[in-house]
Formats: sequence, C-alpha cells, structure tokens
Amino acid sequence: MGNDKSDVLQGTLDLMVLKTLEAMGPLHGYGIARRIEQVSGNSLSLNQGTIYPALLRLEQRGWVKSAWGVSESNRRAKFYSLSPRGLKQIREETENWERIAATMSRFLAPSN
Amino acid sequence: MEWIRMLLSRCWTLFAKQKHEDELDEELRAHIDHAVEENLESGMTADAARTKALREFGGFTQTKEDYRMQRGLPLLETLAKDLRFGVRQLVKSPAFALTAILTLALGIGATTAIFTVVKAVLMAPLPYKDPGRIVAVWTANAAQGGQPLPSSAGDFAIWKQRSGVFEDLAPSYDDERTLTGQGSPQFLIGYSVSANYLRILGVAPQLGRLFTDQEDSPKSPKVALLSDHLWRTAFHSDAGIVNKAITLDGVAYTVLGVMPRGFDYPTSVEIWMPSAMAPSAQDDFDHTYVRVLGRLRAGVTLAQAQKTLNDVEAQVAAAHPQTDNGNRVVLVPLREQLDGDIRMPLLILMGAVGLVLLIACANTAGLALARNAERQKEIAVRLALGATRRRLLLQFVTESMLLAAIGGAGGILLALAGTHFLLRLFPNNVANLNIPKVTRIPMDPGVLVFAFAVTLLTAFLFGIAPVLKGMRTEASAAMKESSRGSTTTRSSNRSRSAVVVSEIALSLMLMTGAGLVVASFQRVVNADLGFQPDHLLSLQLFLPPDRYPSTDPTKRRQFVEAVERRLNALPGVKSVGTTNFLPLSGFWGTSSFLLRGQTPPKSGQAPEADNRIITPGYLRAMEIPLLRGRNFSDADRADGLQVAMINQTMAREYFKGKDAVGEALNLGTPDKPDWWQIVGVTGDVKAFGQDQPTHADIYRPFDQLPFPLVAFTLRTETDSASMVKVAEEAMWSVDPNLPVLKATPMDLLASQTLAVRRASSALFAAFAVLALLLACIGIYGVMAHAVAQRRQEIGVRMALGAGRGQVLRMMMGLGVRLTLLGIAIGLTGAFALTRLMASLLFEVSAMNPLIFSCAPFVLIAVAMTASYLPARRAASIDPMQALRTE
Repeated sequence: MGNDKSDVLQGTLDLMVLKTLEAMGPLHGYGIARRIEQVSGNSLSLNQGTIYPALLRLEQRGWVKSAWGVSESNRRAKFYSLSPRGLKQIREETENWERIAATMSRFLAPSN
Repeated sequence: MEWIRMLLSRCWTLFAKQKHEDELDEELRAHIDHAVEENLESGMTADAARTKALREFGGFTQTKEDYRMQRGLPLLETLAKDLRFGVRQLVKSPAFALTAILTLALGIGATTAIFTVVKAVLMAPLPYKDPGRIVAVWTANAAQGGQPLPSSAGDFAIWKQRSGVFEDLAPSYDDERTLTGQGSPQFLIGYSVSANYLRILGVAPQLGRLFTDQEDSPKSPKVALLSDHLWRTAFHSDAGIVNKAITLDGVAYTVLGVMPRGFDYPTSVEIWMPSAMAPSAQDDFDHTYVRVLGRLRAGVTLAQAQKTLNDVEAQVAAAHPQTDNGNRVVLVPLREQLDGDIRMPLLILMGAVGLVLLIACANTAGLALARNAERQKEIAVRLALGATRRRLLLQFVTESMLLAAIGGAGGILLALAGTHFLLRLFPNNVANLNIPKVTRIPMDPGVLVFAFAVTLLTAFLFGIAPVLKGMRTEASAAMKESSRGSTTTRSSNRSRSAVVVSEIALSLMLMTGAGLVVASFQRVVNADLGFQPDHLLSLQLFLPPDRYPSTDPTKRRQFVEAVERRLNALPGVKSVGTTNFLPLSGFWGTSSFLLRGQTPPKSGQAPEADNRIITPGYLRAMEIPLLRGRNFSDADRADGLQVAMINQTMAREYFKGKDAVGEALNLGTPDKPDWWQIVGVTGDVKAFGQDQPTHADIYRPFDQLPFPLVAFTLRTETDSASMVKVAEEAMWSVDPNLPVLKATPMDLLASQTLAVRRASSALFAAFAVLALLLACIGIYGVMAHAVAQRRQEIGVRMALGAGRGQVLRMMMGLGVRLTLLGIAIGLTGAFALTRLMASLLFEVSAMNPLIFSCAPFVLIAVAMTASYLPARRAASIDPMQALRTE
C-alpha cells in the first residue's frame, strides 16, 4: 500500500468526532465516518469501524449522547449528539491541540 | 470523578449483555447498509458496492472485539471466562481435582485445628499484670524424685530476704473449708495467701477489696474473698455480700470482696483467706507445704534468678552442713505452671501436624509437577498462537486459586469440626491431672490468616511456578520436546524423585512417632492399677472440724462405722471400705519414717511414704491383694497395738530380701519415736495414674488414726453409677449435714485420668494414617505420571524385545529405589525426633526396635501398592499403539 495516507494520531480521533458533531448536529456512525473522510480530503487512513469504540468511549465519559432514530434513507440507526460537557471538552482539547500544533510547526520550520 | 462514571457505565453493561450485543450488531449493520446504498448510488454493481463498504469498514470482528473491550470490564470478564474454563478443566480430570482438594483440605484442616488449640491454650493472654515476670518457686530434691514440690516456710523466708532477684515474693498453701449456713453444707477448695500474693498477680476484685498486710496476721479478725463461681452459686450473686459474715468450719469470716470471673489461679479455688503466717514459721524447715509465687525484678531473666536462688541454697547448705538436705530450687514461669500437663502433648502434636502439612505440601508439589508437565505443551502451543504471557499467567493463577479456595474452605470446615474434637484434651473435673480449664476453643483470626496464607502459597505452587518455567522455555523447544515423547528431562525427574522421597521420609517419621505413642497408650490402658475399678463406687467427703474436731476422734470413728454399716446393708452392695486419700483423686499426703536401728538422717532427708488410712474392709472392697501377713481387723482398736501394712514397693525398697512382717516403723522422730508394727504387705496401687510410678505406701487403721478426709468405697453388683443416689442417702441418714465432695465410679475416674493420653494418641494415630494416605496418593500420582510420560520409551523397549515382566520390574524398580532412599532418610529423622517425645511415652523406649522395624515395612507395602498399579499399566502398553500415537 502506498504511504500517502496518514494514520490517525492517538487521541485526535476523539476530537475529530466531537468537532464533527458540533458542526453537523446529531449524526449516525456512518455519517460521522464519511464526514471525517470528506473533511480530511481522504488523506487519512481510517478504518470506519474504529469510530465505534471511540464513540462508546466518548459516551462513557459523558461527552456525547446517543439515541435510536431514523436516517435520511429511512433506516433505523443510532444517532450521536454532543452533550454540554462535550462542548466544554472541545474548547479544552482545541486549545491543547493548537498549542501542540504550534510547537510542532516551530520545530518543523526550515532552519536558516 | 470521571473514572467513577466510567466504572459504573462499564459495570452496568455487564448486565443485559445480550441486549447490548444485539444493539451493536444492528448499529454496525446499519453502517454497512448506508455505505452500500451510497456506493450503489454512485453507479457500482451490488457486489462491488458491498465489497467496498466492508473494506472501508475494516475488520468487522476486530471492531466488535475492540468495542466489547471498551464496553465491559475486560479483567472481570476474563476472570469469569478463566473460572469457567478452570471448572471445566477440573471436571475433566476429577481424580486430579479431588486429590488436590482433599490433600489441601486435610492438610489445612488438621494444621489449623491444632494451631487454633495451641493459640487458644498456650498463647492466650493471661489476665494478670505483666505475667511474663511472674514465676512459681518450687523445691526439688533428688532423693524424692526431683519433682517440683512445695517448700518449707523457712526456705521461703531465706529466699525472700537474701535472693534479691524478686520484686516481691509471696507464700500460699492449700486450705480446704466447709461452708455452712448457705443451704446444704459445701466443701470448698480454699487457698490461703499472703496479702502481697494477690498484688503479685495484679488482680482487682469485682466487688469489695483485697485484704491488707495488717489483716494478713494470725491475730487479726477472720476475712475471706469469694470466687465469682461461689458468689453466684452459693450467694445468688448478692450485690451486698461485702462485709457480711459467712461460716467456714464453724467460724465466722467477714467477706471482703468477690474476685473477677476469669480469675482461676490456682485452678478451682473457691475461697481465698489470709495466710497469716506466724513469725515463728521462719524457723520451720521440716514442714514443706508453702507454695511460693514471685514477681521477678524488671530485667532479671529466669536463668539468672534460678542461678541466684541455687547459690543462696548452696550458701545456706555450706553454713549449716548438718541440716543440708540437698534441695534445689526450681522456677516455673506462670504460663507453664498454668499449662501444666497439657503443654508437652500439645507441642508434640503441633510438631506432628507440621509434618502432615509438609507431606500435604509435598503432595501438592508432586501433583503440580505432574499436572504441569502435561501442560507444558499446552502453554507452548498457546504462546505460539500469540497468547500473551500475562494472559496465560492469569488463567493458570485463576485455576489454582479455584483449587486452593475449595481446598482451603474444606480445610476451615474440617478445622471447625476438629477443634470441637480437641476439646476432649481438656476433661473438666479431673483432679489428678494438672491441666487448664478449657470449655470452648474460639476460631482465631490469626490462625485463619495462617490457613489463608497456606492456601495462597499452595496456589502459587500449583499455578505460577510452572507457568514461569513454561515461559522460560522457548515455545518451539517445548513443543519439540513433548512431541518427541522420549524419556523425560532430567530436571523434572529429579523434582519428582524428591517429592516421593520426602513423602516417604516424612510419613515414616510420623508413623514411628504414632507407633510409639499408641504402643504407650496400649500399655497404659492395660497397666494394672492394683485394684479393680469396675463396679466400684467412691464417695469422698470431708469431716468439718467444727463438728468432728480432732480433739474428739470418737465422733469420727462412730460416723465412719455407722455409714459403713448402712452401706453394707444396701441391696447390690457386696462390700464396703473406707480410706483417706482415694487413689486417682489427686489428694495425697506423706509421712517420713525411720526403721529400727537406722542411724537418724539429717532433717528433711528421712525417707517418705504416702499415708493411707483404711478400715478393715478397704482391701476387700478395692480388691487389693494381701501378699503377706494379715489385714487389719476390728480388733485393731485405738487402745490396742499400733499396727501398719506396707505396699510391695516399700517392702522391696526398704526391706530388700527380708520379711517386713514383724518389723516396726518409727513415724515420729528419733527423740520422740512413734512405733507402728508391720503386720502385712499389700499389692501396689497406682494411686496417681496408670502411667505414674508407684510410691511407697504405709497403711494404718482408721480406728487408730481417725483422719477428717474420708472416702467410702463400695463394691457393687451392678453398674456402680446407678448406686450413687442410694449411697448418698445412706450416708445422709447418719449425718444429713455433710456435703459429698464427689461421688464417682472408679472406672470413670480411671478412664478420665487417661483423657489427655487417649486424645493425643488418637490424634497421633489419625495423623499417621492421614500421612500414609497422602503419601500413598502422592506416590501413585507421581508414578502414574512417570508411566504416562514414558509411554513411547516403553513402547520402543517392548518393540525391541523387552518382555512385560521386564517393564514391570523396571517401573517397580524406580519406585523401590525411591522408597528405600526415603526410608533411610526417614529413619534418621525418626531417631532424632522420637527422642523429643519421651514425655508421651510409657514403658516404650523412644527407639523401640519393633516399631522402628515395622513402620518401614508398612511404608514399603504401601509404596509398592501405589507404584504397582501404574507399573502394571506400563507393562500392558501395546507397543504399536504407543509408537503410533502422537
């Protein structure tokens, strides 16, 4: 397999899922997976299945809620939505992530 | 608090598991369906759409497994899975499981039971102030057998003044009283103590106060302290008892206080009075009745105190050589004093049960060896298939914990039942055994922790050690080794041999020990008491000095004569006699005597004999044989010639070959002789128990020496226990106000005397049988496993022409070699250990050749049987089949 896709960094998947839910509102698992692929421009090598354990983890932490509903194509599906605690978590995680990203880019900037 | 939420959520999903599984399935299916639909819309064929959806999803099963890990409590679920697997494994090999569980249960049960008793009896905290420094001080004299005996008031005074090792030293002595005025008269075990005696023990009364030094003097008013038991029974727990007057031996005493409930030193005492020693007693070195209790100075050890006291004795002896009587001083710590005759048997039993535990451990180790040799291959395969070591370890630990837990629980149940049985070591009301009163043995948390630790250790033996071993070996190597199926590796051979050898050695030690103890018990039981205890009833009573004063001996004579007449007239009574100190009753007293023409020995050095005062009917009622001369008759009256009989031991020791009849004994002093004419020689009576040496006895007629302690003995036609009531009524028809101290069938008394010996030899025998059983199981298991492992080798041998007889001999030969080695080690151990058991033995040498030669044969027979079955299986192997399998 060509190595033009990046593996998903540990911990970043959670933030991606939360961010997706913030942007799109309640969504089922397939929708979240597709959305992440689209936003990343298909540059991530993501097994769609991995988002289910992630969703469960987020739900156990109380950051997302789930409920059964009916999808646009008229199928029964489990819909995930952001909880207030999840919203707060996004703020913290974003700040955290930006700090790391800034630090990393300073390291990676071409040296003169 | 996020982790709590997490844990709760995870725990919650442990329930309704199926519902969660179904939901997950539905959710994932919806995912695939959505993907397929989208792919179809983009123009793919149905097949391609599905393939792409599944590919993009990734591993379906992997996802579900990850999801489950995230959902539940993986550790708990693994544990449950391992437990189920473990139970399946055990059920699959029930022989192994049963053996392991039984071994554990028996080993832990026996050990816990004995340790519980040892803890409860030998290690229980004593209710006294700083009991480690309290010692009983006794006098021992080599001429009198070296037993610790009471001392003289003179010796006590010297120790108190000169030794300097005691913070305090106090005298006491036995002082029986009869209580009247509280319902029927009651004979009381009384004890006279100095005021500081109770201060040494550091006990405070529950009511009232102790007596003061001023009250502890011959001239002060009479005062007494009651035991809790006496206060409850005779005085109905009267809260206002303090300062009330009670009547003891017809004299008024003021009650000063009531001692606390647990206070029982010396055992069974009901009433304490001031010793009121007269100052003149300091010069009395002749009467040895003082029981001394002391508190050592802080920092003084027992050995130092012992040495100092004996130095003082030596100085006194050097200063007064003419009165030196060769006494030694013996210090006994309070703890040992209280434990008395039970201490050695318990310690020896503890040693024996320790051996049983060792055998159980060896057995467990042997089982684990065999079991895990079988499983090395399983471990290797599972490692090769990618199981993590941690995971394997967890599973094996779970399995062994399961075994250990079942075994341990069984052991604790056995221990509970066992401690109940062990109560028999402590018969109550046996006067001539010095053992603590124990009515219940509580389960002790410390001992339970001990049992638990043993269980855990076993689990480790079973589980972890072999897995660690399995992990060290490379997976591929282990698989190769077992598939090669050749002879076993040298290391597993060695450990297996070690198990068999140690089991045989340990069992042999236990068996010789048990053999010696049981043989001793047999001898004791069959030992001739010198009288016939069956169909013999005894009625002990005390004639209170207020109504039967020593100044009026006629009253005592008339009483005994009248009661004997009434008893003789009872239907079912064959004959009646009376004595003062009933054999086996624990009561005794001695007199020193001189022979005619003997040079007077130093004071305190004169030979002593037990006083036995009897009526003419006594020998016949007891069936004590008259060996020479004549019995007393009704003609031997107070005003006639003073006559005596002696027992065979005394005749042998003091008259050598001469005929004692016609000789005379001086029971007074050289200056004031008191001559008694010997008219007969009787057979010996074991007055202190079947296993105790016979003393020299001097019998004298009651009529010539009316003693206030009286025991009527009745030879009955039927069971003597049924005669108690009529006998008591006959006695009361003469004097309705006399308390009966004890009415006991003599066969019961004889049997109770053996209680400790009986229980300890039964236990010892049980331990030996248990050891034999465990060893048998262990040897069988190890040999069977050896045969299983060597199947191929045996197949090859047989294919190459070895006969069945040769294979049988080869396998048996292995068993025989190990057995013989075990026996050699065991005999050496037994020679060293049985010596420690001397106190449990009776007329059996610690090196009894019969037992030392029989025990190995029993073991060889057992070991042969245990290895014959596997060996026969080896010989019946079909070589073709053995080579083809695997």
